Amino acid sequence: MKGTRYVLTGVFLGLLVMLASSGTDQALAHKEKHTPDQLKAFEDVFMEQVKIGDLLFHGDGATEKKLRVTLSKTGMACAMCHPFGSDNHPYEFPKFQEQINKFATLRDMINWCIEKPNEGVKIDPDGDAMKALETYIYWSNKGSKLDPGRH
Amino acid sequence: MDDHDRLELARDKARRAWWRKARASSEIRRTRQEMDQELRRPGERPDPSLAITRRIFLHKSLLAGATAGAATYGWFPLVNTLDLAFGAEAFKFAWVSDNHLYPKNVNTRFVEKATRAVKEVQAMSPPADFLIHGGDLAQLGDPVELDLGSDILKEVKIRKVFIPGEHDWYLDMGAKWQQLFGPPNWTFDHKGVRFVGVDTVSRGPDYWTAKKMTPKERMGHMATLDGSVAGAWAGVGRDQLEWLNRTLSNWPKANPIVIFTHNPLYEYYPPWNFWVRDWREVHEVLKPYSNVTNVHGHTHQVLYNEIGKMRSIGMLATSWTWPYPPEGVPVLTRCKVRVDPGDHFDGVGWSRLTMTAAGKIENQYVMWRKDKDIFADAPWDSGCADNINQILQPRIADREWPYYGAYK
Repeated sequence: MKGTRYVLTGVFLGLLVMLASSGTDQALAHKEKHTPDQLKAFEDVFMEQVKIGDLLFHGDGATEKKLRVTLSKTGMACAMCHPFGSDNHPYEFPKFQEQINKFATLRDMINWCIEKPNEGVKIDPDGDAMKALETYIYWSNKGSKLDPGRH
Repeated sequence: MDDHDRLELARDKARRAWWRKARASSEIRRTRQEMDQELRRPGERPDPSLAITRRIFLHKSLLAGATAGAATYGWFPLVNTLDLAFGAEAFKFAWVSDNHLYPKNVNTRFVEKATRAVKEVQAMSPPADFLIHGGDLAQLGDPVELDLGSDILKEVKIRKVFIPGEHDWYLDMGAKWQQLFGPPNWTFDHKGVRFVGVDTVSRGPDYWTAKKMTPKERMGHMATLDGSVAGAWAGVGRDQLEWLNRTLSNWPKANPIVIFTHNPLYEYYPPWNFWVRDWREVHEVLKPYSNVTNVHGHTHQVLYNEIGKMRSIGMLATSWTWPYPPEGVPVLTRCKVRVDPGDHFDGVGWSRLTMTAAGKIENQYVMWRKDKDIFADAPWDSGCADNINQILQPRIADREWPYYGAYK
């Protein structure tokens, strides 16, 4: 009986391995050369997020509504203090952030700005709105020198 | 053309615009040098006695009880002096601008700060001879915002004069603002000084008709500092240049002139629309005059510049402060310290200007920064030097049309 169980377990594991190996092409796709179409598709995904983040950053009400977030209740938008994403210093994070009084990531700081100066409602740190805001901030500072920890 | 092609096109445009801007960096410097050489003979400065000095002083709050006895540090970052050729009488005047008021139920902070400024102006002792409001009383040109601002300013009982900002203007093209405050440009002589208010905001090229914008959309794009839709909107205009020329023509060339504008009268970071597009023509008109001081708002920054024989001083906003741009800050400017975004009284305030009996003008920034020096001692605390690693690119979402909520 015990032997039969071992055999069945072995067959089951074998099937799992076969199933897993049938997906290898997909799992290891990054090892293959990229086609121009793929690169374009990757950039499209990125730029779409930049655009959404840009609209959120500039206080676009329709975009906030679609993503069900309230980034400000004072009328202020992020870009009013950070034109072109300036003075965000995304390349300095993570670092000790004085206002929050803790070691913080860029996402922590984004939420602090939403809650404090903008008096908005803190957003899901892994949600769509946060990803879009983060994407826009990094993109607008593209080419800046990475300098984590700098205050 | 599908969405992807449109996005590609927008990206290309953004890249081209960025490179144009990068090239403009050296062009700005070259143009400023050329203008300076053209307007100033060797050895000439706005005034030989001009001094840029730094003095720190402690001034008690002028509002009894308003700050519960807390002291506020003020700052004389720049003491600008000009000699008068005749016996001048001492007097003070005050500048308040860039309040950016929303309706009261939307943003109480800005109301609080505008109210504080006008109360402090009214409490000046000896009193100021007049208050100049330098524009952007409202945020979105809403009559409710302008009425609110007008009510707050009623606290000031001394003479008041007004110039508009773009935020006051582009909802109804200045109708409500002019109804409340009169014509957008004017001149008067006061104790030996010719004061001129110049309108730099109302002559923006029409960016709204072809795109069938509503007045709110027009105002929204105008109100976006780093937006590209409104284009190079700030300007004095040929008609007003002629008016300025006529206005000054009977004034002795060496006597003091103070020109109030919302925008600075020199090329300062066009991508954020700080500049006045016809600033060169303004300097041509002012060329014969040797004692010209321009006091301006709009930039929400501590700024100082000299071009030709004209000096230029930037005023603080009461609402919020802007970062310095990545390039184009005048070399004569001593930058303000990095401010704390958690303290909405940091980095903002108003200005007290004095014409002394000795014939000198002093500008005193009244910055509401508690218990701290507002001028950086170390580069890492400076609003300019802190950005050494920063490279920026212009936004992309407003380069496609329609704009609002247009993403998929």
